[in-house]
Amino acid sequence: MVQEKIHFEPFSQEPIRLIDEQGHWVAPFAHGLPPETLRRFYRDMLAARLLDEKLVLLIRTGKTSFIAPHAGHEAAQVGIAHALQKGHDWLFPYYRDMGLVLALGVPLVEIFGQTLGTAADPAKARQMPSHPGSKKLNVFTVCSAIASHIPPATGAAIGMKLRRTGQVAVCTFGDGATSEGDWHAGVNFAAVQRAPVVFICENNRYAISVNIRQQTASANIAIKARAYGIPGYYADGLDVLASYFVVRWALEQARTGAGPSLVELVVHRFGAHSSADDDSRYRSREELAAERQQDPLLRYQRFLEQQGLWDAQWANELRLEIAKELEAALQEALKAGEPNPLEMFDDVYAACPWHLEEQRRLLAEELA
Amino acid sequence: MPIMTMIQAIQSALDEEMNRDERVMLLGEDVGKRGGVFLATEGLQEKYGPERVIDTPLSEAAIIGAAVGLAAHGMRPVAEIQFADYVFPGIDQLFSQAAKLRYRSGGQFTAPMVVRMPTGGGVKGGHHHSQSPEAHFAHTPGLKVVVVSTPYDTKGLLKAAIRDDDPVVFMEPKRLYRAIKEEVPADEYLLPIGKAAIRRPGRDLTLVSYGGPMVEVQKAAEEMAAASIEAEVIDLRTVMPWDKETVLASAAKTGRLLVVSEAPRTASLASEVVATVSEELFDQLLAPPLRVCGFDTPYPLAQDKLYMPTVTRILNAAKRLLEY
Ligand SMILES: Cc1ncc(C[n+]2csc(CCOP(=O)(O)OP(=O)(O)O)c2C)c(N)n1
Ligand SMILES: [Mg+2]
Repeated sequence: MVQEKIHFEPFSQEPIRLIDEQGHWVAPFAHGLPPETLRRFYRDMLAARLLDEKLVLLIRTGKTSFIAPHAGHEAAQVGIAHALQKGHDWLFPYYRDMGLVLALGVPLVEIFGQTLGTAADPAKARQMPSHPGSKKLNVFTVCSAIASHIPPATGAAIGMKLRRTGQVAVCTFGDGATSEGDWHAGVNFAAVQRAPVVFICENNRYAISVNIRQQTASANIAIKARAYGIPGYYADGLDVLASYFVVRWALEQARTGAGPSLVELVVHRFGAHSSADDDSRYRSREELAAERQQDPLLRYQRFLEQQGLWDAQWANELRLEIAKELEAALQEALKAGEPNPLEMFDDVYAACPWHLEEQRRLLAEELA
Repeated sequence: MPIMTMIQAIQSALDEEMNRDERVMLLGEDVGKRGGVFLATEGLQEKYGPERVIDTPLSEAAIIGAAVGLAAHGMRPVAEIQFADYVFPGIDQLFSQAAKLRYRSGGQFTAPMVVRMPTGGGVKGGHHHSQSPEAHFAHTPGLKVVVVSTPYDTKGLLKAAIRDDDPVVFMEPKRLYRAIKEEVPADEYLLPIGKAAIRRPGRDLTLVSYGGPMVEVQKAAEEMAAASIEAEVIDLRTVMPWDKETVLASAAKTGRLLVVSEAPRTASLASEVVATVSEELFDQLLAPPLRVCGFDTPYPLAQDKLYMPTVTRILNAAKRLLEY
């Protein structure tokens, strides 16, 4: 039963999966992707993992103040990054999306500038680490307030429709975010407007310590779409190709006028919630160890091996190459030095009003 | 007497009140199994069960709104908002429901509830883990607003807030959670809401502050004392309703007033205190009252320390007052 076209049905009972645990292709269609693309996905997943490890190291050595580890989310994030049209579509990410913004092309030096709070951060080191953004790449700067970016994603998508730009807005968030009022307000409005937006939940089944069963009585996240009259796709976010094809399908639908959809990508959170969290207080080490057995990189490696596209030597070379890039970008970000403190009064408004000029002058005198 | 941090004082107050009155219950994000992200509710779910200590879904509107309904129905809920910066999705519940319930029902319905929240900067928290939004609350008639600065006050005022018949926003400067240890009685005591504390008597000028910057204000007063300048230091403790009587008596005595707060300067509580003292004591003042506050910008990560009132800034302002 081979499908001619790649398409997906919403509201499946089980998560949509294209590669099984052993790396076998189990889809009813041919993926049709060239070897370079398949290998590129692996490279981006590996880069995301190594970036995560580097960020953990920066925390351990006291060089940064905060991180939200994304290990376990790599397949979902790389799948999303490749499904959207880079620099054309808009991305409304959240704080755990460092692997996603990296795969989308946000330069590493900007990522480290933001992480270290140096002048290499295009956002002028005003926010905590893990809050990237890029005007150039249409990446809407992350806001810590959970789900506050959902209505803005809807608004941007309404604009895309009004102005017929052919763009789609992609908006990512965690499972906890779906409890906020803003989440429901944004999804409902988008549905009514048939706005070209794809809402994607990276469901790791935890919101800090709160388990998904305390978060929602819905059978899963995707099913919430039914209430708003839009399709909800339930997919395995540990499977990079399932993530890619399902999100690509949702984007195609949005781009051709079929309106918004909700995609749930089920992932694991291998780390604590953040560098400020101790997850041993609320989840057992046995549960975590079992999840780590389902490493998305390992599953995809098995798939590539079966396609004759993976060998240890290639992977090692790749690892060294990425490690070098990471270190070089880190050094460059460090070299940029501290931002000028007097810049703190810029960007509150388009033009600086008298009271802020007064405050800037006082601080300048103090620092002189 | 046991020595406690502010976090331990909160745990102790909540434990005593839950033990005393079975209507007292807790709700918030991560407050149960994890004991709160700052561990202020550690061990309480184990002790009182998941019905009285609820790990809520991630929704401040649900937390504050449900507290209103619980309170109206006869419970004494203590809601925790994970950071003051995240109260905003729950603001409609706090402002439209909690604050106005008594008034809109002509006193028939009330919402005796507490909304606790870590507040203030100095912990490298950037925009959304550093703000001091007390002026928003104080500007909303119907809410009482407490901002603590010591473990002793924290326990006595939190217990009083739980027993108060009005909604109380209870703000805890997170940078002081573990910074100060002092003796705190292991048993029952209450402190009155609406009453300031004189931390240090003095005759030369009056320093009024509350919350996090009390540390810097007291350091500045000590430095002045070393130069034989005696500052009277007042900790407001409650910013709505604030203790006008204590502040006016002190300012009338010294003739010089400096108000210190880390919240943005414009339209702040510091402005309110200065305005009131100017109105009521105009001809007794020896110098125009001054404010040292946070800047009128969002709270920037890179300038985490520069943003807040420093000892130097407080001393410079005091000098201007004395040399006027
Ligand atoms: C409005 C708001 N409330 C609370 C928080 C504090 N907080 C930060 S992350 C988080 C949990 C989010 O969980 P989820 O949405 O599942 O995303 P995950 O971190 O698991 O990727 C909470 C409660 C916040 N950032 N914003
Ligand atoms: Mg989650």
